[in-house]
Amino acid sequence: MREVIEEALAAARRAGAMFADLRYSEGAGTTVLVQDGRADKIGAGRARGAGVRVLVDGAWGFAPTNNPTRDELQRCAEDAVRMARAAAPAVTDPGMVAEVEPVQARVVGEMATDPRGVPLGERVKRLHALERVAASRDGIVNSVVQYADAVGRSIVANSFGTYLESEGARCQVGVRVTASDGAERQSTGKGRASRGGFELIERLDPEAFAGATADRAVALLSAQQAPAGKFNVIIDPLICGLLVHEAFGHNSEADAVWTGNSILAGKLGQPVAADGVTIVDDPTLPGLNGSFEYDHEGVPARRHVIVDRGVLVGYLHSLETAARMGMEPNGAARAQGHQDVPIVRMSNTAIEPGDCGFDEMLAQVGDGLYLSGGAWGYVYTAAGQFTCNVEQAFRIERGELTTRYRNVCISGMTLETLGNVIAVGRDVKFELGGTCGKEGQAAPVDSGGPHVAIAGVVVGGQGEL
Amino acid sequence: MKSEEEIVSSPTILELAQHAVAAAMQAGADFADAYCGAVRHADVAVDNSSVLDCHIVRDYGIGVRAFVKGGMGLCTVQSLEPDEVARCGADAAAMARVAHPDPDFVALPEPSTAPQIDGLFDEQVAGLPAEAVVQWCKEAIAEALEVEPEARISGGAGFSVGEGAIASSTGIALTRPGTNVELSVEAIIQRGDEVGFYFDYDVARRMSEFAPAGVGAKACREALRFLGARPVETKRTSLVLGPLAVAEMLGAVIEAANADHVQRQRSFLMGREGTPIAADCLTVREVPFWPAGIASSSHDAEGVAKQEMLLLDRGVLTSYLHNSYTAHKAGVPNNAHAVRGGYGGSVGIGPSNLQVALGSRPEAELIADLDDGLYINFAGLAPNPASGEVSATVDFGFRIIKGELAYPVKMAMVGSDAFTMLGAIDAVSSDYREEPGTIVPSLRLHDIQVAGAE
Repeated sequence: MREVIEEALAAARRAGAMFADLRYSEGAGTTVLVQDGRADKIGAGRARGAGVRVLVDGAWGFAPTNNPTRDELQRCAEDAVRMARAAAPAVTDPGMVAEVEPVQARVVGEMATDPRGVPLGERVKRLHALERVAASRDGIVNSVVQYADAVGRSIVANSFGTYLESEGARCQVGVRVTASDGAERQSTGKGRASRGGFELIERLDPEAFAGATADRAVALLSAQQAPAGKFNVIIDPLICGLLVHEAFGHNSEADAVWTGNSILAGKLGQPVAADGVTIVDDPTLPGLNGSFEYDHEGVPARRHVIVDRGVLVGYLHSLETAARMGMEPNGAARAQGHQDVPIVRMSNTAIEPGDCGFDEMLAQVGDGLYLSGGAWGYVYTAAGQFTCNVEQAFRIERGELTTRYRNVCISGMTLETLGNVIAVGRDVKFELGGTCGKEGQAAPVDSGGPHVAIAGVVVGGQGEL
Repeated sequence: MKSEEEIVSSPTILELAQHAVAAAMQAGADFADAYCGAVRHADVAVDNSSVLDCHIVRDYGIGVRAFVKGGMGLCTVQSLEPDEVARCGADAAAMARVAHPDPDFVALPEPSTAPQIDGLFDEQVAGLPAEAVVQWCKEAIAEALEVEPEARISGGAGFSVGEGAIASSTGIALTRPGTNVELSVEAIIQRGDEVGFYFDYDVARRMSEFAPAGVGAKACREALRFLGARPVETKRTSLVLGPLAVAEMLGAVIEAANADHVQRQRSFLMGREGTPIAADCLTVREVPFWPAGIASSSHDAEGVAKQEMLLLDRGVLTSYLHNSYTAHKAGVPNNAHAVRGGYGGSVGIGPSNLQVALGSRPEAELIADLDDGLYINFAGLAPNPASGEVSATVDFGFRIIKGELAYPVKMAMVGSDAFTMLGAIDAVSSDYREEPGTIVPSLRLHDIQVAGAE
C-alpha cells in the first residue's frame, strides 16, 4: 500500500501541487438497536477508501475514492489538481501550509476487549440487559438502547514525507427513555463513547447508566415549568462541558479566527473570561473519546491551554491556519473519513478545576437556579451567541436546592457569560463523550469541567419563580 | 404508465440492488430490499471573501435490509463490486437471524405505480464544469462586497448528479436519477464590538430555476441590519415568525407525526390524529409530485407510490406519517412516508415537499398591526419531540415597536409549547419564501412568553 500511496503523492507533485497529502482508511463495525424489549435491528457496515488533497497556485483541490487502487489513486491525484486549478483564478486569499517535520510512525490504540472477539449474540444479550433495566421503572413507556462499534486502520501520508499508520477501535452506547403519567410525557438520555473496545459495555453499571436515566425521566413528570428570565445559576459538569465546547471552544478553532468568524479574533493576550477560568483542550488524556496520538495531518497531539486564568493564550490549529497566522501547528486537524478534508476540531475540552466546594457555591449564589444535565448546544461563533440544552433545573433558595424544573434551554453571549463566572468548583468530570458536528463532518470528542457559578444567564422557560 | 424513474433507468445499478436482494434471500431472509446509490458532486468553499478550494467527490455503495421473523439485519458497504454487493446481502441475512423476532413486522410492500414527475434530473446540471461553480462563488463575493466592502464572506456552492435504485424481494424495481445545485452565503460585518451576521441561499434541481444572483448581496444587506443588537425584557408578547423560523417549527411538528414515534409512545402528538392541534388558519399540504421539487419523489424509500395529502387541514392533524411497518402495525393504509438517508442510512419516516396555505395580507401588514412584539427571522423553535415543550433562542430577530422593526435583539428566548404556539397563530401572510416544491409564509402568534436579559 505504501508504494501506491507514495506514487499518488508523487503524481500530484508532478502535476503541479506544492503540497499534497493522502488519507486512507478501512474499517468495519456493527450496530445494535434495542427498543421496547427487543433487539430487532442489527447492522453491519464496511468501508474502505482514500482521498487526495493538493495545494496548487494558492487553491486547494480534493478528490476521494471508495476504491483505493493504484489507478484510482492516480486519478484522484489528477482530479484534485484539476479542481485546484479550476478554483485558483478566483482565489484572493491564497491557501498556505505550515511545513512540519515528517513523521514516520505506527500507532495501535489500546483496547481490552476487541468487539470482534465478542460473539454478536453476546453483545446483543448485554445491550438487551441494559434496556431491560431502563424499561423496568414504573412510568417508562419507551426505552431505546443504541450501540455501535468500529474497528479500523488508517494511513496519513504527505509530500513532506510523513507516513503514519494507526489502528484501533471505538465503541459507543446510548440510552433514551420516555416516561409518561398519561398527562405529561418527558424524555431523557445518556451516552457513553470511548476509544477502545467492548470494555466500555463490560464496565458499565446498568443501574447507574440506564436505571438512573429512567429515574430522571420519571422525576421530570412531576417537575414544574422552568421560569423565564435572567438568573444567577450553577451549572453542573455536564453543562459546563456543553458550554466550554459549544459557546467557547468553537471560537478557539483557528479556521474561524482567521476568517473573522470568531469572537476571539484579535484577542490573544487579552482577558476573555473571569480570572478563575482556565480552559484546556487535551487530546492526550488517556481513554477519552476525543483522545488521539496524531491528528489527521500527521501532527503529534498535544495539550492546548486556550485560556490561562482568564487570558486568551492560544488557538487550535491545522497546518493551514498555523501558516496563515504565523503560529506553530498544534495537531488539531481531523477529518471524518476518507471523503472529507481535515478541519480544525476540538478534542477533550474542559474548564480546569477551581477551589470552590459545591455547598460553598450554593451559599455564594444564594438565590437562583442549579442547572443539571444537557444533551446539545450550538453557537453562532461570529456573533458569540450560544444556546445550551438543560435537562432539569432546581431552584436555589437561600443556598438550598428546592423546586425541580423540567427541560429548558439557556442562552447568552459567550464572553459576557465567561466574564460573569463567580466561582469554579473542584470536581472535574468528562461526561459528554460523543460526536461534534462541524461543516457536515462528525468528530469524536469529549468535554467537561467542574460545577461553575455564573451570574446573569437567560433561561428560556415559560413559568415564574 | 411507467414513471420517469422507471423509464430513465440504469440497468447496472438496479441489477446490483437485485443481486444483493437475491443473495439475502438465498442466505435465508424472509424478505429483503436494497438501495444502491451513486453520486458525483463538486463543491467550492468560500472563506474570508475568497474562493478557498474545490472538491470533486464520487461516492457509491449499497445498503441491504433483510428480515427473518420480523427481526431486521442491515448491512452497508461502500462498494459496487458484485462480490461485495452479494456479501452485503448475505451479511444482512446473517444479522437478521441474530436479531430478535418482531411480530409487528408483516411484509415488505408490493410494487405500485405513481405519476411521472418532471424536472428531477437536468442534463445542464449534469454537464456543469467545476469552473461554473467557482464563478457563482466569485460573483456572490463581488456583489456582497459591493454592498459592504468591509464584510467578510463565507459559504460555498456546488452541484450533485446522482442515481439511486431500489429493489425488493416483493418485486419492487425502481431507479431515481436526480440533480441538485445550490449556493449559500454568510456575511459578517464588524463595527467595533458590534457584529452583524446573516446568511441566505438558493437551491434547485435544474438550472432554469437556479438563481444565484442576489444571494450574496441579500446576505450582506441583512447582516448590516443586525448590527447593534440589544437585549429585551422578559414578558408575554406577540411574535411574527419569518418563513425560515416557520419552516423550522412546522417541520418539527410534522416530524412528530411520525407513526413510529407515536406507536412507541414518544411523540407529543400521540392521541391527536384527527383532532385540532393548531389554529384553523393553518393548513399544510404535502406535494410529493411537484415538478422539480427538491423533495419530490414518485415513490417513497420502500418503493411505495406516494400521494398528495393534507397533513394539517384548518388546524386538524389529518393523519400520522406511515411506512410499511407502522401501517401494518396500526392496521391502516400505508401513506408512503418511508425515507432513507442514502445507501448508508436506515429507513425512517418523513415528509416530502410541504406547502403552507397562504393568508390574505402581506407580512408587513401583520407587523404593522402590532404595538409591541418580536419578529423572528430564525430560531430553533422545534418542540421537544416527547413533551412538545419549546425553549429556544431567537438566533436572528428584531424588536417590533409601533408596527416597525425597531432594532435587532440578542439573548432573547421563547418559552412555550407546541400546542400553545400553534393555537396562538392569528394570521398567515400572503407573501412567502419559495424553494422548488416548498411554500412557507410568515405566521403571527399572540401572547407568547419571551425571556430576555434586559
